[in-house]
Amino acid sequence: MTDIKQALGEIEAVVGPEYVTDKDFMKAAYSRNVDPAFPDRWADIIVRPGTTEEVSAIVRIANKYKIIMVPRGGGADLVGGSATKGGILIDLTRMNHILEVNKDDFYCIVECGITWGALVSDLHPKGLTTGVLGPGSGYSATIGGGLSNSTAGYGSTKYGLVPDICLGVEVVLPDPEGTILRTGVAANKYAKPFARYGVAPDFTGLFMGDVGTMGIKTKAFLRLAPNPPYKAGRYYILNKNDYGKVFELIKELRSKVGDGLSDVIVVPQPVVQIQAGMAKAKPPKRPRLTGSVFLLAFEAFDERILEINIKQVEEIMTRDGVCRPFEFQEIDLAEPLTKDWRFTLEYAYHYFNRFISIVPDTISCTTCHKIPISFIKDGERMSHAFDAKFRTEFPDKSLSLFATVIYALPNGNCVFVGGFNSFNTEAQQPVAMKMWHKKVRAQARYGGAHYWLGESISQSIVEAGAYTPEFAAFFKNMKKVVDPNCLLSPNKFHVHNYDEIMSKYEEKDEPYLEAGDKS
Amino acid sequence: MIEGKYKHLGELKKNILQCISCGDCREATDYTMIPPKWGVCVAREHTPGFEPFFGRGKLQIIRSLWQGRLELSKDLADVIFQCPTCGACAKICAYGINSVEYYEALRAELVEAGCGIESHQAMNHSLLAKLNPYDQDNARKNEWMNKLDFKIKRAGEQPAEVLYFAGCTAALSPEVQVVAIKTARAFHKLGVDFAVLGGQEICCGSVAKRTGEARVFQATAEKNAALFKKIGIKTIVTSCAGCYRTLKIDYKNVLEGSGIEVLHTVEFLEKLINIKGIQLKNLGLHVTYHDPCHAGRHIGLYEPPRALLSRMARITEMKTIKDSAKCCGAGGGVKKAFPKLALEIGKGRIQEAEETGADYIVTICPFCERNLADAIKEKGSAMKIKDLLELLDEAL
Repeated sequence: MTDIKQALGEIEAVVGPEYVTDKDFMKAAYSRNVDPAFPDRWADIIVRPGTTEEVSAIVRIANKYKIIMVPRGGGADLVGGSATKGGILIDLTRMNHILEVNKDDFYCIVECGITWGALVSDLHPKGLTTGVLGPGSGYSATIGGGLSNSTAGYGSTKYGLVPDICLGVEVVLPDPEGTILRTGVAANKYAKPFARYGVAPDFTGLFMGDVGTMGIKTKAFLRLAPNPPYKAGRYYILNKNDYGKVFELIKELRSKVGDGLSDVIVVPQPVVQIQAGMAKAKPPKRPRLTGSVFLLAFEAFDERILEINIKQVEEIMTRDGVCRPFEFQEIDLAEPLTKDWRFTLEYAYHYFNRFISIVPDTISCTTCHKIPISFIKDGERMSHAFDAKFRTEFPDKSLSLFATVIYALPNGNCVFVGGFNSFNTEAQQPVAMKMWHKKVRAQARYGGAHYWLGESISQSIVEAGAYTPEFAAFFKNMKKVVDPNCLLSPNKFHVHNYDEIMSKYEEKDEPYLEAGDKS
Repeated sequence: MIEGKYKHLGELKKNILQCISCGDCREATDYTMIPPKWGVCVAREHTPGFEPFFGRGKLQIIRSLWQGRLELSKDLADVIFQCPTCGACAKICAYGINSVEYYEALRAELVEAGCGIESHQAMNHSLLAKLNPYDQDNARKNEWMNKLDFKIKRAGEQPAEVLYFAGCTAALSPEVQVVAIKTARAFHKLGVDFAVLGGQEICCGSVAKRTGEARVFQATAEKNAALFKKIGIKTIVTSCAGCYRTLKIDYKNVLEGSGIEVLHTVEFLEKLINIKGIQLKNLGLHVTYHDPCHAGRHIGLYEPPRALLSRMARITEMKTIKDSAKCCGAGGGVKKAFPKLALEIGKGRIQEAEETGADYIVTICPFCERNLADAIKEKGSAMKIKDLLELLDEAL
């Protein structure tokens, strides 16, 4: 009997036969994520554990037979993070319970397989919120996935990234013992998980943005906030397209309105034009789309404060004729007017999905990354320079967007939510993958900070030589402590084993900026 | 790509690779939707829940078949048929993929490859041989009429404005025969000029369509279309949500150009009652309403049943309604092949009904009614189930 068969039998004894499988059609169903570049990858075993103890037992079995493991949350990973060729795929969506909502101390304890949609739907009617509502795929994306990818999402302008609300985790280490740890204040076995810092070094951070390489998160302790009852939305369009002005306006909004704005989202001009083309109900006459559009969401505990902030923003945005108020109804009659705007999860969760596949049968190779807001103009210019230089290397008919949206984050940085699309065919996969890595390397080299790292982006950062040798060695040493057999998500960050040095994977790329360009 | 190997999937190939695998079809809980959505896939909720038990996994399997990486198998069929094809996954899809079409095409491929479900085969054989899926003498479809104190016209023998298509479940299942009886009584009271086919009524073929027997369905649809045209009927009214969906949507090709309109009894009667200005008696009941998937999500018949009910009783809505309504669990051949799963899903729906505090759960589909009645019994619930027409007959 092979090791895989032996392991399957032992896992079956742990979770029961109905929750583990090695059937081909099951493997096929788990073989993809949301990208066009990876080939279908079939795991050897797929398991749906129901408890932390079961996860721990699976880890022990994997170590016994030296079988690789990949944890999987909602499976909507954009960067190849939650599928595996061979090994054990651990589907954590059965662990989807809310264990405690503490209204007095403003925290909750959840199993990591619960979706953002399910958690928020439980919290908001109670007057509570996680603030950041998880990624654009939040109907299916899990809390665990959001933590593993350091995700931004709706609410991030005010509340920060998903790890910013994390007070600690319960995690199963991939070591031979399947050690179960609790981090944050919960490391004190006498304490409730009410805070992140104190007691010990911030080991929670070790598992944030780790894309499932350092441990398997089973429970999360999350900070809650009272959900402000007054919310409003306003849109403005730049009268002249100028990304320098985008920076100035974001900076001024942060300086003068601050947390009165829960979301500052900028839709670049080309994307507004695409949206006009995708309109459900096209108006007879389309207005001149002169520039990028700002989508601003306000929230407050007092209606008067909401009104003051709306007025203040109006003054900032329209001063000197920089912007004018905009309605998406100008390009799509099916869109509601801002006066009728109401907060919905569908807006938060389906906006991004619409841009994953602008053209049927294509999917985006995502290159979302953070930059300082002062770099927006240069980032846009460098992205275009890259695209122009390597145009012929992109997949056929690929549309490359430096950003489908620019998403402002709390302290003067923002996300370029962007990428390029490709037909999801075998012929195009290697072309898309090659360009994906190349583009991410270029972004890493201009100082971009990617967060959805998965396999493709984490590898590209290594290929860019972005990590110092000291950091790379530290990273590997830390991983070796928790995963001595190098079994958990081994391909990510090009950590295939502990013998190689990361710099082995560095790639040299042709310059794409004009000589003398100082950026 | 395996062009030509999969005939039924091939007919849908335009969008076969469109699914981006976002997974919203798994659960997509959203309290802000109107009505709120508390989960999506009832099959996943009551099965081991691996990806093939909900939409994304099925579409990924179709992709793998289409790309030649996977073969059809009995094991695959065993999972693919554990889905009531309720269509909740299609409603949440950001790209509007009509996933049920894909599931039915996949089922047709499985059946043609000899991987169909045995109990479905027997049911579909009966459909062909006996014109109903219940392996009964079709002449028994006349029996419910013996319980009426008036005569009903025979379609084809006497002209009538409306054909009442009772459907096999109401005509042949003693537990829900009352639906046909009460419908006929309501028509009679309201002076509707209607006829029935009785023992000549051929099953609409819904079961064949849902369980992948494409050839049986096609043959049945053609037979029925020929019959409808022969008797010269222009309006078909049915009290079965399954027949309603099948005749209205799946018969589009065979009824094209015939000018035949297909209506559900409640939409027909609601309009008639309004036109005639008829007052309905308030029955003093506290009810909740179950949206059958075939009438609701598949067609959008949400308001007429509620409009009628609200005039006869006090309605308290369940947690999931209309587009977001949880399925009863019986459809798509699940009750026949996986009765325990159908019952578990049904019990979940009864739980929701109980939470409303209502005494009655009311629906407009005899097949939902049968499964929910079984679920009530199994659960030991005090809830009572009624077809809307039963109440209407009392209220007229």
